[in-house]
Amino acid sequence: MYLSNRVHRTTATTVLIAALACSGCGRDHKSAGSAGDPILIGVSLPLTGDFSEPGKGIQRGYEVWAKVVNDGGGLLGRPVKLKFLDDQSSADRVVSDYEQLVGKDKVNLLFGPFSTRLVVPAARVAEEYGMLFVEPAGAAKQVFEQGFKNLFYAAPAVATEHYKLLASYLLALPEATRPKTAAYASMDDPFAQSTAYGLKAKLEAGGITTLVNEVYPPSTTDFSSIAAKIAASKADIVVGGTQYQDGVNLIIALQQLAYQPKLAAFSTAPTEAEFTKAIGNKAEGILAPTGYTPQSKFPSNVEFVRKYAAQFGGPPGEDEANGYTTGQVVAAAVLAVGCAEQGDCQRKLVSWVRDHQVETVVGALKWDDKGRPQGAHMIQQWVGGKIQVVLPDAMKEADLIYPKPTW
Amino acid sequence: MRRRGPAVRLVALAIGAALILAFPAVAANPYMLTVGIGILNYAVLATAWNFVGGFTGYISLGHGALAGLGAYGTGLLVVAGLPSFVALGVAAAIVAVLAIPIGVAALRVRGASFVIVSIALVLILLLVFQSWAQVTGGSRGFVVPRPFPDLHRAEHHRVFFFLFAGLLAVALATWWLIDRSHFGLGLKAIREDEDKAQSLGIPTFAAKLVVFVVSAAFTALGGGLYALWFGDLDPVFQFSVLSGSTTVLMALLGGVRHLFGPLLGALVVGVGLEYFKLEYGDTPLHLVATGVLLGGVVMFMPEGVIPGLSGLFKRWFAPGEVSIREVTAAALLDANRREPEPRVTDRADATEAGR
Amino acid sequence: MSLPLVVQSLVLGVLLGGLYALLAAGLTLYFGVMRVVMIAHSAFLILAAYLAWYFHGLTGLDPLLSLPITVPLFFGCGVAMQRLVLARLRPATRTMMSVLLTFAIALVIEGGLGTVFTGTQRRLQLGYSSASLELFGARVAVVKLIAFALAAAAMAALYLVLTKTKFGQALRATIQHREAAQLVGIQTDRVAGYGFGLGLATAAIGGTALALDSTIYPSLHWRWIGPLMAIIVVGGLGSVPGTAIAAMLLGMLMSLLQIPLGTTWAQTVFYIALFATLAFRPHGLFGGRLATRF
Repeated sequence: MYLSNRVHRTTATTVLIAALACSGCGRDHKSAGSAGDPILIGVSLPLTGDFSEPGKGIQRGYEVWAKVVNDGGGLLGRPVKLKFLDDQSSADRVVSDYEQLVGKDKVNLLFGPFSTRLVVPAARVAEEYGMLFVEPAGAAKQVFEQGFKNLFYAAPAVATEHYKLLASYLLALPEATRPKTAAYASMDDPFAQSTAYGLKAKLEAGGITTLVNEVYPPSTTDFSSIAAKIAASKADIVVGGTQYQDGVNLIIALQQLAYQPKLAAFSTAPTEAEFTKAIGNKAEGILAPTGYTPQSKFPSNVEFVRKYAAQFGGPPGEDEANGYTTGQVVAAAVLAVGCAEQGDCQRKLVSWVRDHQVETVVGALKWDDKGRPQGAHMIQQWVGGKIQVVLPDAMKEADLIYPKPTW
Repeated sequence: MRRRGPAVRLVALAIGAALILAFPAVAANPYMLTVGIGILNYAVLATAWNFVGGFTGYISLGHGALAGLGAYGTGLLVVAGLPSFVALGVAAAIVAVLAIPIGVAALRVRGASFVIVSIALVLILLLVFQSWAQVTGGSRGFVVPRPFPDLHRAEHHRVFFFLFAGLLAVALATWWLIDRSHFGLGLKAIREDEDKAQSLGIPTFAAKLVVFVVSAAFTALGGGLYALWFGDLDPVFQFSVLSGSTTVLMALLGGVRHLFGPLLGALVVGVGLEYFKLEYGDTPLHLVATGVLLGGVVMFMPEGVIPGLSGLFKRWFAPGEVSIREVTAAALLDANRREPEPRVTDRADATEAGR
Repeated sequence: MSLPLVVQSLVLGVLLGGLYALLAAGLTLYFGVMRVVMIAHSAFLILAAYLAWYFHGLTGLDPLLSLPITVPLFFGCGVAMQRLVLARLRPATRTMMSVLLTFAIALVIEGGLGTVFTGTQRRLQLGYSSASLELFGARVAVVKLIAFALAAAAMAALYLVLTKTKFGQALRATIQHREAAQLVGIQTDRVAGYGFGLGLATAAIGGTALALDSTIYPSLHWRWIGPLMAIIVVGGLGSVPGTAIAAMLLGMLMSLLQIPLGTTWAQTVFYIALFATLAFRPHGLFGGRLATRF
């Protein structure tokens, strides 16, 4: 019997819809509910793509935290288990990842992803499902203006304040040595831009003229024209609101033009392990803001550094510390409130974090009603081949070099 | 036999519609709902694309541009103060109007240049929306306020599932109407052989333009509805040649000449991608799979998988039943160009010659 | 807009234009030979760049030394692709279908690169990566000069092959008028295959040149396909000298426009040139009868 293509097509469509409908039901994971069951913590991180270097750092921080907690008997007597998804640095994927974690995998708790760009959409998912959202990397102004009630940033200060100490230092220099002009280049990314613009606002208010102010999309790899503008302006200092690879590329482009600023400050890139090699071992004098130093003497930090070295070798960086801090904040809340489930428990966790201070590897943290932490970032510099804290004086490991040696 | 066709079709249609509408109720969790919405979104975009691809034979890889314009248009209008669904309609209307000069420019050229132009359109819009950050938020993303702000997220998904289903129904209905109409017949003539169609007096340029505008309107509606649902827009995803070509893959896979072809393709590809993601995580392998699938479809079944398979089916079990509606001019030309077969007595040989 | 900055941008534009000319030359060859829009060309460029990077990582030798391996490899790939895959498409719908098919190949390459090398961005670290020279009053990076020199040498070699060798003349004849070429006894199928191989061989050289001063990642090919297509349309589909001239012009224009407009807006110049060409002179600079000039 001969049926037309149309009937075939319609029938096939119907069958497929039925198949999809059936596959949609029935296959559901049971949420870990009772004592003894592991506490499942869901995270989506950019393990590939534009933000992969810092993303992997945060993953290591989370993993050390999980090991430390489990070695100590777990949380509320239950072992913790991390479920990682790779969002490939994409804002689309991070949303569907957190949907999957909350809706399908029914995780008990959430940890935040990396980069403000990804934190905002992810936080919305958490907010609309009523989950506590402590995140290690959403520091820009934008994050705290969305009206989120469940979000807390696990680091000492927000992005616009990252360079606060450097601004004070520069403006306090005597007239003769103080820089007069500045060039800024930042990625069109809320975090990177916020750090650079925070510094820019303070320096402009203090009388340092802005000669160049360039913004570029995240996928930019060719910096010859931006570097040419900066070099041609002969600005005294250059400030980069960067992530990792773009920072490396910008510096190489500036080096290729033999531009020698008196001071060079970049966010994120100089704190990554691969940095010096990537720019040809010419990092001496480059500055970066940081929320963390392995040398700090906070009690949980000493243990963190030791355990991290045992698991991964070498000292932890800022991203790793931010991840660890997130874990510490969530753990403190869970232990205080005594539950780790979706639903009403999450509201109690949120209120607890709102009203309390938590001891972490970056010091004592507490938050305002929008989730902003109330501390201050440090300034690091590459001195003698190592990255060291140079500001504030109370915590410094080396003296700040100014002007910068030639690169 | 032929009388049973329409009845069977109607029943199947009713079952299909019922299943779609019942999906939110049987979906195991809100995450599966989002997968369903994603597939409906693909289906809307693929069906909208198929106005151009199916009726005129032009392969446009640039429909991503129109969807992106619809999305950002809706978002910007909502932020400017319009109610969400009014913004959606206005944005789609604006894109439809914009499609006129775009269509005039793109349709003047044929073949290779048309494809190049359609890709170039997506890429230039990507650059514009990335650079014009004060208006569009650039790469920092553009947040579209929720139409129903107080809904719990699962409810929000449910509502939008039905909205997308409604949009799909309207798009399918429009496609069906054009398919049956005189206008549609003219378009199909263009698809088979544009020069001959022109010589027959069909106003080819005007016809192509009209169907392009209709396609653009539906694509913009799909993009705008997505913006209202998803809430966060990034130029890299809204203006993407890759997503435009996934749409093309879906339409081709299901069969461009048929009403439910794109929907079918959307189902297959959507479910496939989701399955891949859940089993293997987000690896680049799904790009390889998409590429292999697209390549396979183009090489071996350019009419689509279902027509291809049922063609095979027919050749084996119902030989000789070949209608001009089922065979393209290109295939007919090839068949005629091949060496004439000696007189056949065997059923197997007859099927070869009849192809 | 100071003079040194303009000079700097001009010099940069020339170097860029030369590189673009090489990258786009293959693309126009494919079209001339088979009326095929080969979207996978830029994916092959990135593949070549990855191979150069990998070679350097593996052996520690200069990536340019990988050319004796990659060029013949890509040539063979091109011939195989033309004979086994593209020749199979029906002539009536070849152009449209070739777009989709080569698009599919590009996706496979991107997915393959992502799987093997992961999505992490890579950059060649050579001893001379940040070295520079003073040239005509502008500061020029050594790696950009080397890339330009490589591109110029390859274009010169291409010119010699196309004008002075029998194969080159057969290729030009095939591009110009396939049936007539068959009539004079040229084996157009085989020539088309070799023409394709030649195009892909230029991709090998171009990709290696690209790797010297670029950050590479699997989805980088999207950034190149637009400008390259614009260049071949402006130059005239199928015309290699047209492509070279269009590449230089557009490269310099983009570089100069970066001063007032910034990097992102300046990139739109390619697309504006493309639309303008299609609107006012669809055959491009040297198109029309497809590479009648040489």
